[in-house]
Amino acid sequence: MSGLQGAVETAPVSRLHEQQSYDPADFAVPSGREEEWRFTPLRRLRSLHSDSGPGDGKVHVVADAGPGVTIEKTEHGDARLGTAYVPSDRVSARAFASFADATVVTVSPNTESAEPTHISVRGESSEGSAFGHILIEVGANARAVVVLEYSGSATFADNVEFVVGDGASLAVVSLQVWGDDAVHLSHHHAQLGRDARLTHTAVTLGGSVVRLAPSVRYAGPGGDAELRGLYFADAGQHLEHRLFVDHAERNCRSRVRYKGALQGDEAHAVWIGDVIIRAAATGTDTYEYNRNLVLTDGTRVDSVPNLEILTGEVAGAGHASASGRLEDQHLFYLMARGIPAAEAKRLVIRGFFGELIGQIEVPELRDRITAAVEAELA
Amino acid sequence: MSEFHRACALSQLPDKGAIGVEVAGVPIAVVRTEGEVYALHDVCSHEEVPLSEGEVYDQTVECWLHGSCFDVRSGKPTGPPATKPVATYPVKIEGDDVLVEL
Repeated sequence: MSGLQGAVETAPVSRLHEQQSYDPADFAVPSGREEEWRFTPLRRLRSLHSDSGPGDGKVHVVADAGPGVTIEKTEHGDARLGTAYVPSDRVSARAFASFADATVVTVSPNTESAEPTHISVRGESSEGSAFGHILIEVGANARAVVVLEYSGSATFADNVEFVVGDGASLAVVSLQVWGDDAVHLSHHHAQLGRDARLTHTAVTLGGSVVRLAPSVRYAGPGGDAELRGLYFADAGQHLEHRLFVDHAERNCRSRVRYKGALQGDEAHAVWIGDVIIRAAATGTDTYEYNRNLVLTDGTRVDSVPNLEILTGEVAGAGHASASGRLEDQHLFYLMARGIPAAEAKRLVIRGFFGELIGQIEVPELRDRITAAVEAELA
Repeated sequence: MSEFHRACALSQLPDKGAIGVEVAGVPIAVVRTEGEVYALHDVCSHEEVPLSEGEVYDQTVECWLHGSCFDVRSGKPTGPPATKPVATYPVKIEGDDVLVEL
């Protein structure tokens, strides 16, 4: 037997998501050569990754609770904060150590909130850095929809924790509609109880540098996570999404579907999709993909799916990534029917994103996002 | 309006090699090779790597990470994987001061 030891992996080879700490000092200042930082323009982070000072920037969090939803402001030391999520990089640990106040959203067990809860995170200026923390707790068998909207101008790092109880269901739509000079680094971490369901839709359109890391961990079997994303990078924008799904429980499902478009010089999109299926996570069903539409020259896409499987007993596991131009034949088909080139291009792009937009749980947002994408093309 | 800024002292520069400086918030690689001084944008056009940490030979600076080569006179890529040029800046020597226009 000893000859076989080491031949079968029992622990992930990837060390990327292992380091966790509340203390920023436990993380070295990134140099840009690290795997998790190599695509991020550190020079443009205004020292958020090193030491940008005490956090004197002004970012306001205003929450509008749906029915049956409680909203509180709390401070450091509230025992509920950081129980589901431990920061996994220096910026995240800095945000956890430095936030001034935290917003806690609670949905009581067995309640169904008919209307979405809106949380607006709005920055006044990119001067000075700011840090935030939001905890969204959905009790067992409850259902809720939460819309997060990041806007204005800021140099901002935050952590958002989603704790979805057994049998509960949470739909999150996170809109990154920052002004042109905003820098935002964010971790959205969800912990799913037994048979819990989460949909998380990231819509990233604005900001100079946006780096959003949605992650999921299952605390019991039967969890179901759908992580969707839509982004549109314009000239000079760096939009980065780093997904991580950690399958450590049996019979859980995950789907990751991210689509983006890029146009203009130095428009840069990064998509990292990491999935680990641990040895205990038998019956896992996972698939993730990333699609990018490159609309002009001078853009850049880095798309890296990573899948590590430590058990043979999976229901399904796969990933895919493709980046390319608009299909000439699609445009020709439309133009041959009398549709002008610009209109044809818009239609194809609308179709490309339409599949994702159509699934957003808040109908008003569908029209708004469709209009915002069309405005990017104008 | 572009103007000349002091980038470094001439005596700081190796006879063949580069140093990285920041001039008016812009990262600049000041390169000396074959008796001439050049200034280039100090970020490889391929990935976020300072060219000043690379190797200098003839009229070339080579990025240490993936080996992209750039002509120090024009900033044009002369070897892959970089395909886009890096910016170059006019250089003036006054006494021991190296001045860069940007």
